[in-house]
Amino acid sequence: MKEMLKVNNVSKHFGGLMAIDDVSFSINEGETLGLMGPNGAGKTTLVNLITGKYITDSGSIQFLGNDITRMVPYKRCKLGISRTYQIPRPFPELTALMSVVVSVLYGKDRVNQSLDDAGYEATHYLEFCGLFSKRNVLCKDLNLYEMRGLELARALATTPKLIFVDEVMAGLNPAEAAKAVGLLERAKEHFGVTILWIEHVMAVLMKAATRVVVLHYGKKIAEGPPQEIADNPLVIESYLGSSHA
Amino acid sequence: MELEVKREKLVLRIGTQKYEWQIEPRYWLNPLIYVGILIVLPVLAYFFYPTLLPTLIDANLLAAIAIPLSWMTLGTGRMNFGPQFYIGAGGYAAALCSIHLGWPPPVTLLVALVVGLFFGLLMSPLAILAGGLYYTLLTLLFPLVFLELTFIFTDVFRGDVGLFGVQTMVNVGSFTLSQLITCMGALLMMLLYMFIVDKIMRSRFASSLAAINDDEEVAAAMGVNVNKMKIISFAIPATMIAVVGWFYAHYYGTFAGISYLPLAFMLKVLMVNMIGGRVQVYGNVVGGYFIAFLELLLIKLTGDLSPVLFPIVLLILLLTLPEGLFGLYRKRHYREYLPTLHVRR
Repeated sequence: MKEMLKVNNVSKHFGGLMAIDDVSFSINEGETLGLMGPNGAGKTTLVNLITGKYITDSGSIQFLGNDITRMVPYKRCKLGISRTYQIPRPFPELTALMSVVVSVLYGKDRVNQSLDDAGYEATHYLEFCGLFSKRNVLCKDLNLYEMRGLELARALATTPKLIFVDEVMAGLNPAEAAKAVGLLERAKEHFGVTILWIEHVMAVLMKAATRVVVLHYGKKIAEGPPQEIADNPLVIESYLGSSHA
Repeated sequence: MELEVKREKLVLRIGTQKYEWQIEPRYWLNPLIYVGILIVLPVLAYFFYPTLLPTLIDANLLAAIAIPLSWMTLGTGRMNFGPQFYIGAGGYAAALCSIHLGWPPPVTLLVALVVGLFFGLLMSPLAILAGGLYYTLLTLLFPLVFLELTFIFTDVFRGDVGLFGVQTMVNVGSFTLSQLITCMGALLMMLLYMFIVDKIMRSRFASSLAAINDDEEVAAAMGVNVNKMKIISFAIPATMIAVVGWFYAHYYGTFAGISYLPLAFMLKVLMVNMIGGRVQVYGNVVGGYFIAFLELLLIKLTGDLSPVLFPIVLLILLLTLPEGLFGLYRKRHYREYLPTLHVRR
């Protein structure tokens, strides 16, 4: 498999706190990479570094052969990087349709596409995520599950090659969580995207991920297939304490 | 380039870009009626009540300031509390050139445009660097600093007396007819602004502005070049507002910062925005007329008390009509044919 994203010795600190400490890993095309770690391990910070919200203190990030270490977020999006948020961040005063239209229009430079055409394309993504009937509802009026669906529709509408899914299960009941996992699997199959999946729920990653990277206090402590990670004493210690390792 | 006429829309293709405009009567019939009423009003006033003409000119100019301000508010995601700075910049530039260089209004218009664009571009980084409250305070401060400068450099700006001897825009012998022509000029400018901003608000560009208004960070993550959009949305409306300053200078034949730069004028403009409904292009016109006539009414009814009563009445209206007058109308006559931007109030 071709290497898609390469993170080399990336570090980031906020004042005296080392949020990310010399982390390196890569993602191959077509795989689902799990990123896990206890609360405050630096998972979301790492995603923010890759998507461009923060700039690294040291190290480099390469995406499809391009150095994106200091690239602005919108250019990273146009290259094919998209994301969802741990706490959904819809455009509250836009309708579901219009918020996906923004992604369609600006996610990638498309040829011969008017605003109306973008609307038609956006309905396709909304339909894929089961939100067609909610297309004219203001985003702030959607429930949590629908907001997560909308975030995925918005991310897919930028025609990404790599999607960061940030704790998609948070706040969902078991039935909704199962639907969300199914939706992500279908998205991967249908749109051929590569997924970096941040998750607390180990059972989900055991099924969905091909490889898992574990962070603890900003450092990478383990990387490998899910089963190997589940048995790793360092991972068990980071989650449950030294008495369980 | 290729132009295609369909039943309900015009399609223009330039290179790899495609633009569409709705041309079905149901899309433009209501705006046409609306514009028709605005044109008929000054004509009626000219024949039956000519003293209303200055109020109509004021109403059109207030709307002409509020309309670009709406665009600026949406595109920067922040409220600018100092639109009158650009009126001052455009007005003084036009007045100085007219008095000292003898340039006619069409030439001073170009000067006002350049000066407005210059200050717009110069101050546009504020929309990127300064967050909500800081942006508000800084924009509030600029016109006041400008006002102080007009007092410090009295030999240039003539302090609170102002610059006089500016070439008037229209002089046809009859004062009332001149007023009517000026009123039509103000209306034309306001309608042009309304047309431009309305087109923008229905375009793909506006979808990115609405996204920025809601969440800049997410908009950037979805591919929107936030800084570029903010600079455009700051600099161009600032230029448009500067042109209103040019109009004031050539309409009255004098220009004094004390009339436009203080907070009282800013309050009036912001109230037009609020009463009409923020980022409601047509609403701003309703707001402009409402405020201009309310001011006139209060002066007639309460005389000296009007400067005190005016803001009080406006505050009561703001509390009782949070969505503005036009917002109320839209609520009762809600129908959408096209994707519509809903914007934070």
